[in-house]
Amino acid sequence: MAKALLRLEDVEVRRGMGVVLSGRSLTVLGGQTVVLSGANGSGKTTLLEAAMGLLPLEKGCIHHGDVVVADHEGRRRPSPFVVGVVLQKNGMLGSETVAQHLQCSMAMAGFSTDIAPFLKAFNLTHRANDLVAHLSQGQARKIAVLAGLLPAFASPSPSLVLLDEPDAGLDDASVKTLGDWLEELRSSGHGLVIATHDDRIKQQATHLVDIEHDTVTPLENRENRAPQQHPSKAVPTQSAGSFGVKMHLRTMMWLNTNAMAGLLTLGILLSLGSFMNGLDRTQQLSFVLAPALAAGLCGEPLVAALREERAGEWWRAVSRKEPHGAWIPAVLGFIFTLMASVSLQNQIEPVVLLVGGLLCFVVWHGVGWVQRSTQRLARPQAVFVGLLTPVLILPYALIAGTLA
Amino acid sequence: MKLGETLLFLGFAGVGATLLLAFLWVPSVSFNAFESPAAQRIFYWHVPAAWAAFIAFGGLFVGSAGWLFKRSETMWRLHVAASEAGLATGLMTVWSGCVWGAAEWGTPWDWTDVRLNTFGLLTLLAAYLVLGRGSQPDGVESRDTFAAFGMYGFVLVPTTYIATWIWTIRHPPPLIASEDAGSIDLDMRLVLYLGAISFTTFIIGHMLSSMRLTALEQRLAAMQSTQDGGV
Repeated sequence: MAKALLRLEDVEVRRGMGVVLSGRSLTVLGGQTVVLSGANGSGKTTLLEAAMGLLPLEKGCIHHGDVVVADHEGRRRPSPFVVGVVLQKNGMLGSETVAQHLQCSMAMAGFSTDIAPFLKAFNLTHRANDLVAHLSQGQARKIAVLAGLLPAFASPSPSLVLLDEPDAGLDDASVKTLGDWLEELRSSGHGLVIATHDDRIKQQATHLVDIEHDTVTPLENRENRAPQQHPSKAVPTQSAGSFGVKMHLRTMMWLNTNAMAGLLTLGILLSLGSFMNGLDRTQQLSFVLAPALAAGLCGEPLVAALREERAGEWWRAVSRKEPHGAWIPAVLGFIFTLMASVSLQNQIEPVVLLVGGLLCFVVWHGVGWVQRSTQRLARPQAVFVGLLTPVLILPYALIAGTLA
Repeated sequence: MKLGETLLFLGFAGVGATLLLAFLWVPSVSFNAFESPAAQRIFYWHVPAAWAAFIAFGGLFVGSAGWLFKRSETMWRLHVAASEAGLATGLMTVWSGCVWGAAEWGTPWDWTDVRLNTFGLLTLLAAYLVLGRGSQPDGVESRDTFAAFGMYGFVLVPTTYIATWIWTIRHPPPLIASEDAGSIDLDMRLVLYLGAISFTTFIIGHMLSSMRLTALEQRLAAMQSTQDGGV
């Protein structure tokens, strides 16, 4: 018997003020295609997103193989399998190129395969080096679908593929191609769960789950198709940090927010003239470190950027991590402290420069953590995160005092 | 009249009486000990308000934990009521402290005093919870997020209190629930305790009323949802 790739045990999920899923259990084995059907609002997306580990559980737990990836006590673990994910939104940033996003989706699992035949099948070869932002809605959807399927094609072992209405916005020819790929993946031993209203995709099902009536109907045995060869190779795993740095450097969003805050702070201090001589050592250090603190207080600009097409949630569903600026704040803090030291004190102290880098790093990621913690809200941009940032005054004051 | 409103009214009367006594009856402190003896009368408002804020923040912790771990509607109402009460009393404390500090120390704020900063942060946390909740539709997502902040923010309460013992650069140590209260003149102590009891009554009444108001709001939302055809 094939291995259970996904197991939902007595799962209860609340959304808003209502219980959307209650007491749901589902097992998906390798070589099965489970199609979720039901009216809008019946809970298909909720079940899929719970299986991805995106939603907190009120009760029950979710296993990927033998590993509990999420439970009702809030524990989270990474999946032991390669996981391919397609959300209702496309889950990618407009600043990524098509080829980059597809390679990234595979590299997150540590494998890669040739994307050319897939792009050709979707008539997107000529778009491989375009930015995602330059694609039409339908083209962008095709890339999102490919990003969900390619990790499974590249994976040498059975993987889990979770697709939320992958057919939405695709033309007839593309839906047919998608159906062929789904069949091929199932025949290769991968486990698929698909939420859809499209009868052509439903035809791929080995099991049909009626969400409204909580019934699972096994369909007639489907013959396995001889899988096509998609030679894959192991590649270095794509980390959330390196992707975040890449996005920062490409979009220069660090300059637009953090660096501008640091520069403005430094500019204001310089406009005050030579005031430093009358200050004690603690006060002098506080002013020298102020630009680095201001740059960090703006937080992680990627958090807001990753709301685009739910890119951050796609990352969390696939790898349990979200892209971040990694070492960029440390460098920024170091540079600002260097500039402040030279222009305000006319002297350079290596320890102070290092502390400036560390301060910006800690504050940037601290504020980023607070920003991320509000992403589950319905209107995360409307919440008052800035009111919490003064808590970082205390470590800043302690650092200045200790250095002095 | 409900219990909450009764306590609120009694507390309000007591707070008013405390103010009157503080301005008209309590003897003035020595010119030798204080830079601004007149401003010292703010103390009878400032200290009981801080005491009431600690009670509110304690309620915030209990309500937040009760929602997160028990999914109790009553505990969520306590979270809502306590965050509003914490914001109100926190602002009273910070504002009165700034006025007193400006008169006594020559500066409204002392950045080197950890206690002032943590109390200010507690008030900002309460503002974050009240304003943030108002910006979001009610649901398990917003309740979980704000309850988590309410619970972890409570760490600042013992930090503030301990700071009052450890870091005493300018700010005097705590008086309520401490042995130092015995060193104050009897008349002063009487008014201080009247203030503490009044503020405690006021804040408990406020929280009870606010919890009842939240329950009514929830009932209204449920009725609207039923009319919309929801569950």
